[in-house]
Amino acid sequence: METDNIASSERFSPEILGFMQLAIDQAKLALDSLEVPVGCVIVEDGNVIAAGRNRTNETRNATRHAEMEALDVLIIQWQRTGFTAAEVAEKFSACSLYVTCEPCIMCAAALSIIGIKEVYYGCANDKFGGCGSILSLHSSSSEAGISIGNCGSKGFKCCGGIMASEAVSLLRDFYEQGNPNAPKPHRSRVTQA
Amino acid sequence: MSGEDGGAWQIVHVPGRPPVPPDQQLTVNVVAAQIEQPKLTNTIIRRLSQIAPLEDLHHVKRVKKKCIEGGQIQLSVILCLAPENGDFDGIPCDVKDVINSYQLSPFVAKVCKYAASSKEEWVEQCKLWPTSYHPPTYNISGITGFSEEDSQSVVSFMKYALELAKSHGNVVVNAAAIVDPLSNQVIARACDEVCSLQTPKTEASAECGGPGQVKTSISCLHPRWWVDEQTGRSSSFCHPLRHAAIVAIESSAARDRRLFPDVRYKDESTIEECVLSPANSQVKRQKTDANDVDNDDKNDTAYGNGDLSSRPYLCTGNDIYLVWEPCIMCAMALVHQRIRRVFYACPNPSAGALGSVHRLQGEKSLNHHYAVFRVVVPQDVLDKVELSMISGS
Repeated sequence: METDNIASSERFSPEILGFMQLAIDQAKLALDSLEVPVGCVIVEDGNVIAAGRNRTNETRNATRHAEMEALDVLIIQWQRTGFTAAEVAEKFSACSLYVTCEPCIMCAAALSIIGIKEVYYGCANDKFGGCGSILSLHSSSSEAGISIGNCGSKGFKCCGGIMASEAVSLLRDFYEQGNPNAPKPHRSRVTQA
Repeated sequence: MSGEDGGAWQIVHVPGRPPVPPDQQLTVNVVAAQIEQPKLTNTIIRRLSQIAPLEDLHHVKRVKKKCIEGGQIQLSVILCLAPENGDFDGIPCDVKDVINSYQLSPFVAKVCKYAASSKEEWVEQCKLWPTSYHPPTYNISGITGFSEEDSQSVVSFMKYALELAKSHGNVVVNAAAIVDPLSNQVIARACDEVCSLQTPKTEASAECGGPGQVKTSISCLHPRWWVDEQTGRSSSFCHPLRHAAIVAIESSAARDRRLFPDVRYKDESTIEECVLSPANSQVKRQKTDANDVDNDDKNDTAYGNGDLSSRPYLCTGNDIYLVWEPCIMCAMALVHQRIRRVFYACPNPSAGALGSVHRLQGEKSLNHHYAVFRVVVPQDVLDKVELSMISGS
């Protein structure tokens, strides 16, 4: 763990670590609300313009991951501002996402659909990861995309392992409590309520 | 099922791995040996499973039993994976010790590399070396075929989805219907809501186009089309991620919150509270969102009066009907929401994630696996819903 931290602070700029800390703060908010602790922020021109955290238990919608929450904030806001689709696409292409855990396959696909510029993540996601662990959606610009303009997927730059041990330790805290919303057979509470 | 001119409805299982002819499955070489003294079998297997476990071959049985002439039984055991160059010198020392101490005569045998995904594959596998047959979705009904009644119900829900897909005037979009098969009810339905021309609000204006001017805007086929979609139009609704399946999941979650407003977490205390105050929960069970989904919760026989014992976790046990094969974002969303079976009518060659480009149902690492079926729609039915020109079938 400690070596991880040392590696983190040596490898990544203070700016990157600062934004990841904000993502971790979001993950802590999720943990406080008995949600799987994953959080993120979206950054444009060095400013955080949106934040999100997991809300799957609260909404009973298992697709409400931190990334989807943050993307929705911006899409709805920009829609109200009256931006055209082209303008929205242009704005997203200048945005960076900082998320505590590697985006899952669904979120990685969503990030590719909206055309994000780059993604920085904390720990890898061995079961669902869409940025290298299970699928590599960040690096796959589909061939259809090249031949028929914008219809395919768009790749994005991706960099993992930033403050991974902090991200993992939040997840460990959560699973030690037991996910209150998981179906019974999968529930493994360490301490009895 | 058939009898109509445009061909018959068909429900085809889409397995987790690309189908290969059962007799052309990938194999790997192993080193095996005959066991001359059957009573030693258990001892040898126990020793081997410690020193040479078959890590990636859990589906392969360690021992092969063969009846030979005279009612005799011949037993062979897999010692280890064959060394790469085929040279027996490469066999691990521990295994060599076993060979020597039991005076075994090793030989190379072929076993199937992957677990069988169908009974046909399994039968072929066992001709080489016996394997076990447990596809991850083996207990989901339909994998081994549909009864006449079940087929009728699948067909009627797919017709429902097809009608939904063309309910947007002259723009054809993808449509999704989430069904509770126990009550045979549509519990959530949605269409693509990516661009303004797909939203129900514009339906009136869209109706001026005749049937000859049908446009298509199917978000899962071309997920990045939204970027170009509104060029030349002034600002209006645009949400690139609101594909039909995503919106349907959202709608089913909203329904769950309406039906069971008091349950946030399944603690003992909250369950008790809800059971004791059904009247209270009835009152709260009103439509709270502006969404015009017309699932009338009052008619919801599946859940009775919000009986918690029947409340499923997310969409466990539910099926989804989609006109087009979902893209990878939607396919993974359906994994997250614990859908049991996915039915789609038209393959999605450019971005489909359930057989065309990806095959998400075969990703072993996922924590949930649904079964996937393609529903082949007869031509005359497609003609009727004006989808024939774009379905590719």
